Amino acid sequence: MVAKGQKRKLHREDEGRGAAWESQLQSVLDISMDKFHRDQALVEPSLLRSVLINNTLRQVQSEVRAQVESLSAVKILTKSQTHSGSEPDFPRGPPPSEHNAPLFSLNAENMEDDFMAWTSEEDFSLSSAISVILKDLDTVIDAGGQGPCAPQRAPLGSVENLTGDARLVQSSSRAEKMSDMMPSIKMEAACPGCPQDVSLDKLLLDIDTSVFEPEVNLLQGLSDDLVKYLPSLSKSPSASSSSSLDSHGQATWEIQEIEHVMDILMRTYPQS
Amino acid sequence: MHLLEEDQGRCVKADIISTVEFNSTGELLATGDKGGRVVVFQREQESKNQPHRRGEYNVYSTFQSHEPEFDYLKSLEIEEKINKIRWLPQQNAAYFLLSTNDKTVKLWKISERDKRPEGYNLKDEDGRIRDPTTITALRVPVLRPMDLMVEATPRRIFSNAHTYHINSISVNSDYETYMSTDDLRINLWNLEITNRSFNIVDIKPANMEELTEVITAAEFHPNQCNTFVYSSSKGSIRLCDMRTSALCDNHSKLFEEPEDPSNRSFFSEIISSISDVKFSHSGRYLMTRDYLTVKVWDVNMESKPLETYQVHDYLRSKLCSLYENDCIFDKFECVWNGTDSVLMTGSYNNFFRMFDRNTKRDVTLEASRENSKPRAILKPRKVCVGGKRRKDEISVDSLDFSKKILHTAWHPHENIIAVAATNNLYIFQDKVN
Repeated sequence: MVAKGQKRKLHREDEGRGAAWESQLQSVLDISMDKFHRDQALVEPSLLRSVLINNTLRQVQSEVRAQVESLSAVKILTKSQTHSGSEPDFPRGPPPSEHNAPLFSLNAENMEDDFMAWTSEEDFSLSSAISVILKDLDTVIDAGGQGPCAPQRAPLGSVENLTGDARLVQSSSRAEKMSDMMPSIKMEAACPGCPQDVSLDKLLLDIDTSVFEPEVNLLQGLSDDLVKYLPSLSKSPSASSSSSLDSHGQATWEIQEIEHVMDILMRTYPQS
Repeated sequence: MHLLEEDQGRCVKADIISTVEFNSTGELLATGDKGGRVVVFQREQESKNQPHRRGEYNVYSTFQSHEPEFDYLKSLEIEEKINKIRWLPQQNAAYFLLSTNDKTVKLWKISERDKRPEGYNLKDEDGRIRDPTTITALRVPVLRPMDLMVEATPRRIFSNAHTYHINSISVNSDYETYMSTDDLRINLWNLEITNRSFNIVDIKPANMEELTEVITAAEFHPNQCNTFVYSSSKGSIRLCDMRTSALCDNHSKLFEEPEDPSNRSFFSEIISSISDVKFSHSGRYLMTRDYLTVKVWDVNMESKPLETYQVHDYLRSKLCSLYENDCIFDKFECVWNGTDSVLMTGSYNNFFRMFDRNTKRDVTLEASRENSKPRAILKPRKVCVGGKRRKDEISVDSLDFSKKILHTAWHPHENIIAVAATNNLYIFQDKVN
């Protein structure tokens, strides 16, 4: 079957690039995270070193995003071909059935829906890589939250950005900032102790369609947000107003918030 | 190029050498180490009695330049490691050098004393005060010769001007000013004035989280006192003219080579970071060192370097491991010879490399006691990358990455080089017939 051959060719190209590239991506990420950790523990890490490591991490992050986007673009393309019916021999059977995902989300509105609808091999390998990567990012957040008792400022920490007024302003406006910063996770909670059932309901509504591929959807939705909260990794944080007021204390507080969110999500969708 | 080895290793204490520099005549060689000490060697005058000891370098002076300090405000310890030494041109009998650690630059005067006054009235030769009642006659003190004593005194201390770590100092050709460079700023000082400096370059962003580039080295032009260059962690060199404005944030020239897409990897940026930049003696060329190459630029051509020399390209496939063990962050220096025809830089396994710009030949030599006897000619070394290893070759995987040669110096006129291998100093000379 011609189309199968085509699909295999695509698959092989991706896989060929993917395997070696992914393993190097993984090791670069691991090593960079390790160094990032160690530098955080130092009293005064070298600025040159910090900048180079952070730039490498940013590069890894953008490569992951690019790969995710290109893969979803491929999926859209192949899906649209299926829609038109002009390629009847285009396979749509086996891969999705592995994961029991009905093809109800064939509309191209939500890229994330496409993702989990077309769970094919390359999806899976990529999504597993992404999940590992984001687990690592998680551990950074975790470690940052449970860091040494005398928290050190980030190498590119914004102690230099602080003015006297900023400190006062920031402590009073934490509540607003919290809701500003978590729009895409769709948590309306303004504080850690808010009723969990409300937030869980909202989560369930939002993530309903991705029930079969929680990993990928979470990853897709969270990857940007999680990374945003790493103080020295953010390019242009959405809460740009707070970035200039960012202090280590606030970062720790945010990290605790993220941990709480992750706890809830992990409880709802245990890792398979 | 045949070289003769003289091993001066026994003269240097067991501390890691962090900088090496000849003075402008080549008579003196200064080394700084991690313990904040400066050791100055002086070249022996040639004597007819011992012709084979032509021009050996012996210890001339040793002094503690910097002490460890504690910054109470930030709760940080300031290392005493000497990052750079630069000599001032000689204007009288004394020698002057600038030495710097991460935060403070000091001007040291090294002078000789070979006479001392004798015959004081009020105190005797030991220095004890004489009982005035025992003084019966008046005498005039006279100067009598004594054993040569070399003393080093700090004449100026330039401090509190750098928030970040100083990586370079450079004396201007006007012999009045010098600049000190840290990761984000360059300050201009007058050698006489310690309580004020002028900031001439500042690349600190308003939001530190947007920082993606730092300054790695800077140097004044050898002849034009208004021109200087600084290099960055992204592989670019900026030439600035101080006449254009007080703050030279806008460069006059930007030297940057477009990235080779076939060589692109996760480490492309790290290995493009420039660890050293040096003007040629003529001022016409610039030499830069990044992790794998040495490049020569024409000051008049910004688009690409004139020449590129591969220092240890066999490491290109090992970048991930070198990133893991931090070797990829090593900052190698590079030097010109006196006539700007040969370049020299260090590598791993105590190897150092020389490139002849005219003949395009290069050689790898090793600085180690085991492999060469004093006064023996150095044997060229070779690293093999493929499977087949010849008898004298060493394979890439056998290289010792803890033995790195980061600091080297070349005599301003003659073919004498100083190579610092961890805590040993090697001085090599051309063979004399």
